[in-house]
Amino acid sequence: MSASPRQHERELRAELSRNLALFFFESAEVASILAELDSLGRESRPKALALCVFLSNISGNIVPKVVRLLKGAAGVLSDQELRRWILEAFDLLDAKGLEPAVRFLSANDEASLRAWSAPRGLEFDDVSATLETYIRGISGRDFAVKPTEDTCYTDTAGIFLPRKMALFTRRDKNFLAYKLMATHAWAQIELETFAPVRRNGESKDIEEYFGQFEERELAIDVFNILEALRVESFLGENLPGLLRAAREVKEKVLVALPEQDGRTARSAFVRKLRRQYLAGRLAEPTLLCYRQSPARDLEALEALYERAMALPGPYSPLAGASFPVAIKPGRVALCLKARQKESRERLTAFIEKVLEMPDFVMQMKRRAREKKAQEKRPEPGRKYLLLKGALFELDPEMEELLRHNGGIPGAVLVDGSELGGGESVMDLRSLVEEEAEAPEVARPARGGIPYDEWDYRRGAYRKGWCTLYEHDVHPVREPFVEKTLRKYGGYITVLRNRFEMLRAETRILKRQKDGEGIDIDAAVEALADARAGLSPSENVFTKLVREERNIAVLFLLDMSGSTKGWINESEKEALVLMSEALESLGDRYAIYGFSGITRNRADFYRVKSFGESYGEEVKRRIAGIEPKDYTRMGPALRHATRILRAVEARTKLLITLSDGKPEDYDAYKGAYGIEDTRRSLIEAKQQGIHSFCITIDREAHEYLPHMYGEVNYTYIDDVRKLPGKMTDIYTRLTT
Amino acid sequence: MTTETIDISRHYISEEPFYLPMEKELELFDAAYRNRIPVLLKGPTGCGKTRFMMHVAWKYRRPLVTVACHDDLTASDLVGRYLMKGGQTVWVDGPLTAAVRAGGFCYLDEVVEARKDTTVVIHPLADDRRLLPVEKRGELLKAPPDFVLAISYNPGYQSVLKDLKQSTRQRFLALEFTYPPRELETEIVMHESGTDEETARTLVLFAEKTRNLKDRGLLEGASTRLLVHAAKLIRSGIDPAQAIGAAVAEPLTDEHEMLAALREILQSVL
Repeated sequence: MSASPRQHERELRAELSRNLALFFFESAEVASILAELDSLGRESRPKALALCVFLSNISGNIVPKVVRLLKGAAGVLSDQELRRWILEAFDLLDAKGLEPAVRFLSANDEASLRAWSAPRGLEFDDVSATLETYIRGISGRDFAVKPTEDTCYTDTAGIFLPRKMALFTRRDKNFLAYKLMATHAWAQIELETFAPVRRNGESKDIEEYFGQFEERELAIDVFNILEALRVESFLGENLPGLLRAAREVKEKVLVALPEQDGRTARSAFVRKLRRQYLAGRLAEPTLLCYRQSPARDLEALEALYERAMALPGPYSPLAGASFPVAIKPGRVALCLKARQKESRERLTAFIEKVLEMPDFVMQMKRRAREKKAQEKRPEPGRKYLLLKGALFELDPEMEELLRHNGGIPGAVLVDGSELGGGESVMDLRSLVEEEAEAPEVARPARGGIPYDEWDYRRGAYRKGWCTLYEHDVHPVREPFVEKTLRKYGGYITVLRNRFEMLRAETRILKRQKDGEGIDIDAAVEALADARAGLSPSENVFTKLVREERNIAVLFLLDMSGSTKGWINESEKEALVLMSEALESLGDRYAIYGFSGITRNRADFYRVKSFGESYGEEVKRRIAGIEPKDYTRMGPALRHATRILRAVEARTKLLITLSDGKPEDYDAYKGAYGIEDTRRSLIEAKQQGIHSFCITIDREAHEYLPHMYGEVNYTYIDDVRKLPGKMTDIYTRLTT
Repeated sequence: MTTETIDISRHYISEEPFYLPMEKELELFDAAYRNRIPVLLKGPTGCGKTRFMMHVAWKYRRPLVTVACHDDLTASDLVGRYLMKGGQTVWVDGPLTAAVRAGGFCYLDEVVEARKDTTVVIHPLADDRRLLPVEKRGELLKAPPDFVLAISYNPGYQSVLKDLKQSTRQRFLALEFTYPPRELETEIVMHESGTDEETARTLVLFAEKTRNLKDRGLLEGASTRLLVHAAKLIRSGIDPAQAIGAAVAEPLTDEHEMLAALREILQSVL
């Protein structure tokens, strides 16, 4: 057992006194040294004592000098800083020996100490998790908070913050600066700073808009100041505390600005605006008006821009300050374009599929459709896609995408007015989806298990539609489990203890033949019976028993290609931790993985079955888990249900670990995949199996409540947290 | 053999409990009452379920018997038991039986906490039979028209071992409770704690932000009840940041990182 801090200090003091006595120090001298050490702060005192003990083992004579040095430093550094300073001296002692350490300690004049404590700043990595939670809390949305070498900005999907914040010497102040920047960036998104600019019936994206200005950077810098004012008025409403704290950060930024700011009159004008903003003293009438009623019009910007442009000299962009957060129209445009590109690629895949369709299939489909619904006729005002001699109706989203795509070989976009009334129109989206699901000639499945699949549009099952194959995960001789155990060393002990406690749950059984307590109800009844002349029951005791945890849990692991990399690693780590913890708990558990490609090959991988023990082979299989193909969840869940059904247990739990929504190479995506998965979960529930999903998908909130029910899933925003969180979730689920 | 019952006259609510309706829950309850359908109140902790029950009990001038359910709650705890008194056996009604006899409202709070075999005793009472079998006395009590059985349940607690059985839940009319909208919640906090509007508004603002963190590290966001606690502390002179920290943030979680984030949010809001 480790000693309490106070006990530890007492021991150190005793050892120091002993050592100093060995070097012929008088007891008065020893007492005075100890008193000096006692006057140090609570944080640094134990380290200072430890250092002196260490030195006294080498030479007692050096101790008084070092104590004086420490006292000197304590006058300049805070208690925490002093602790850090002593630790650094310790490091030097270890690495380089006595001489460099003493030299380091001797540099304890104010300037040296300030220089030592100042440039450290706060590392982004140390606070990224807190910042992400903070942003999630204030915004109610998920943003990735990422480090950048640049100044702080947002591209609307993520918030980018500098790798290090060293605006202040104090950690909490640097955190405040981080927080302020992140909040400003979020507020820009919230206030639609980057929305397209509408002028005279024309809409321009923010990049195009700023492209019109001769001095683009000047316009952006002015816009930034105006937006900062708008953000502040928003913060005043919503986060007044932060707005108050912001003053300090702004002052600091202002002080750090270079004196010689802006060589030309034009540059000086914008710099003056920035200084006014940072100082919170708006002298410029436009800014003043803008602060009183910030409107989302760009008149103020354009007026200020014109005034600046009337001044002589070229413009040099603002630099040298991390605040207000930068506005980067280029990055925003890039991010929006990436999103558009993704949608476009989906459409292109649609069309390519139609183009690849054999002609006769097209003909058949067309005839069938024509028969079915007295086809729609083209309308003059709309655009249609002419593809392989057939006309396709486009929904507005597809039309927009196609226009941006600039045409697709083999397909032509035509106006409805140019088409004769005789043509009939087909719906592209539904045709493609239908095609993707058209029954293929069923391949003979060797050893495969057929499973039904739910088609929500038909409201019926497709019988024996999928074929599932069971495999064992290929075991590999990698020390993955050992590595994980080392990595999570202390945590595993904590975990095991926690799980042990779950096991130790006790329960009072009533009406027992023997036991440690008296069951009052039963005793009274027995007495009443005796009085009434009936023979009384002997079962009048209560007994404390260990609750039987009759639980069987199956972990189903998403092994689709998208888990490649650290998601897969974290999933595996989580499995190791779970297994270690569950071994101590005694709940029965099994681990399987799933992947596959198309309905003809749903793969189901065995890592550990219920009967198997968590031995070498299983550990090697966990190490061997690797990403495979797609995520057809339905058959995997049905198979897992079948396995669980065969297990005898009062409570059966199926926990799925996934990084996204169900998706396969064919039509198993979107609503179809979600509905089939949902159906398979309902089937599981009907069999008395509780399902739960742990997901790492940011968009999970859109579909998981529908699939699993409002409370039967959890979202983990950072895959690194998975191993720790999974055990929490398990504990919560089963207590 | 004599019978003793709990003093039901003590269970009348004499003063109108403050309650601001959010949607149509009062009308729905009224319809359930008239049609003798038992009610299930769903919703996160501290959002006003118990207060709602107090309010309707006052409104209909009926006694309200509340049972906080727990692991070891037995059927006898609800229905009643024989006790020895001066060498005689005396039957004592449990809260449920007492409420049935008096035609009162019986509210089983957090019913999922009770053992599953216990909840089964309410089944015949919760369907159209409206009967409570008191097995030990061989008595079959028919609930009078005024009797209302209400149970509450928090769907946010995720435990497969503590789910409400379908056979139980399908006997009830369910009223869903959520946190009140901002304006309403501000008013509630002001009324319950006597604090000023600005403080109440700040508290509600902070609560909303914590609710954004549900399932992102918090099991639940701050309840209205916690806000009232904080407001009371502030009224008694505690520094707002400290009061909200102790009364709202700390009760929500023990996780260091989450607490740090909550503190940061609090500082921004205050």
